Amino acid sequence: MNEKSNFLIRRIHSLLAIIPVGLFLCVHLCLNSASLLGGEDGYTWYLNVIKFMKSAPLVWAAELIIIAIPILVHMIYGLWIVYVAKNNVLNYRYGNNWAFYLQRITALVATAFLVVHVILQRFLEHEPGAVLESLALTLQNPLYFILYAIGFLAVAWHFTNGLFTFLISWGVTVGDHSQKVCRVISLGLFVVFACWGIAILSVIGGFIPGFGFENI
Amino acid sequence: MANDKVISLRIKRQDGPKTAPYWEEFHIPYKPNMNVVSVLMEVRKNPVNLQGKAVNPVVWECNCLEEVCGACTMLINGVPRQSCAALIDKIYEQTGFGKQITLAPLTKFPIIRDLMVDRQRMFENLKRVKAWVNVDGSWAINRGPRFADREQRWAYAISRCMTCGCCQEACPNVSNKSKFIGPSHIAQVRLFNTHPIGEMQKEERLNALMLEGGIQECGNAQNCRQVCPKEIPLTKHIAAMNKETIKYAFRRWRYKDSSGQ
Repeated sequence: MNEKSNFLIRRIHSLLAIIPVGLFLCVHLCLNSASLLGGEDGYTWYLNVIKFMKSAPLVWAAELIIIAIPILVHMIYGLWIVYVAKNNVLNYRYGNNWAFYLQRITALVATAFLVVHVILQRFLEHEPGAVLESLALTLQNPLYFILYAIGFLAVAWHFTNGLFTFLISWGVTVGDHSQKVCRVISLGLFVVFACWGIAILSVIGGFIPGFGFENI
Repeated sequence: MANDKVISLRIKRQDGPKTAPYWEEFHIPYKPNMNVVSVLMEVRKNPVNLQGKAVNPVVWECNCLEEVCGACTMLINGVPRQSCAALIDKIYEQTGFGKQITLAPLTKFPIIRDLMVDRQRMFENLKRVKAWVNVDGSWAINRGPRFADREQRWAYAISRCMTCGCCQEACPNVSNKSKFIGPSHIAQVRLFNTHPIGEMQKEERLNALMLEGGIQECGNAQNCRQVCPKEIPLTKHIAAMNKETIKYAFRRWRYKDSSGQ
């Protein structure tokens, strides 16, 4: 195949978002859920998890291969896809067209969020205690909390709606019925992810009295 | 009594491919059972705009007048559809009697004049994906293999596609920024790849479908499915061809050798 084609890159773009990026997102949320134990327990557990992850052997290679490169490929080619679309939700107000539009909006929001998230939590602080402390201090400010939550919700929508389109793009869900079922599942997953993520952020930011990290 | 009722039209006009568009209003005496084509014919009989000024008649295309050729496709109140099948009384049932009707040319194709657009691109792309059944000679050949009944039923629905451009108009990924061939053409590949004779050139069509502007440009907005006047389940055919192209891509890679086969 010597003819110019973006078939391969489009399919890789779609696959990378699920494996490994989507899987990483789930693992990331699971690990952060240590904080959901709440209070001092949650703090200690969460700190241990961060320490453990940071001390794992070859963690830099895993970060590079499983996280950084796939996300960057998906992000950079994705920005091109966002640019190419000529959105028309005001003329064609169908649910899936809104989902298509939101997928592109959340792509931009999530990109901005991830850049900030990675700089703050990965590059500015390295010592586990300092990472957690700076995050908790940031989230205690309601404005930053809301911005952080919006960033996370964008990621959650982009991932769960992306699962729906992934299944179509790979020819798994073909007919109306399976596509409708997967649409409902993807919306349900979005609600689950949204509640899950906001709960973690609320605990770290100390917004749940007596349960959060506000006094630690 | 019916004479004082008027059909109010607002038409997006353009004198040539490169001139600026402008809006013009017309009032046409109401008669029952009109469609947008017959209203435009009335405008042509007496091309005087709302200000009473004689203007050039509005240019548009039409041919079959029974929603099978697609030539008269335009935006009617913002919706891409055939003007022959757009009945004024039906439009008024939705909008209310006498409400102004807006006509505009399709936006995804180069404008020739007024409501007439150049849809050549769609025909070039049909050629690109080889949307036909090859006949290999002029001599008599016997009856070919027949469509299985279960396939014939859904394939017939695809064959009703008239390349009108509604799905292309509604698709957010068809634009001058991309070379996407559009939803209709993906369904056509499925039709001819299912046809018992057309199937013999299956790989050529799959290959064409994976070139620049091919099936990978679909973003699953699924507007095509909603606006198709022939109610072709385009999203289903796109998903089915997604599977076929991926299978074919793997097969092509696994079997590839120096002979290029």
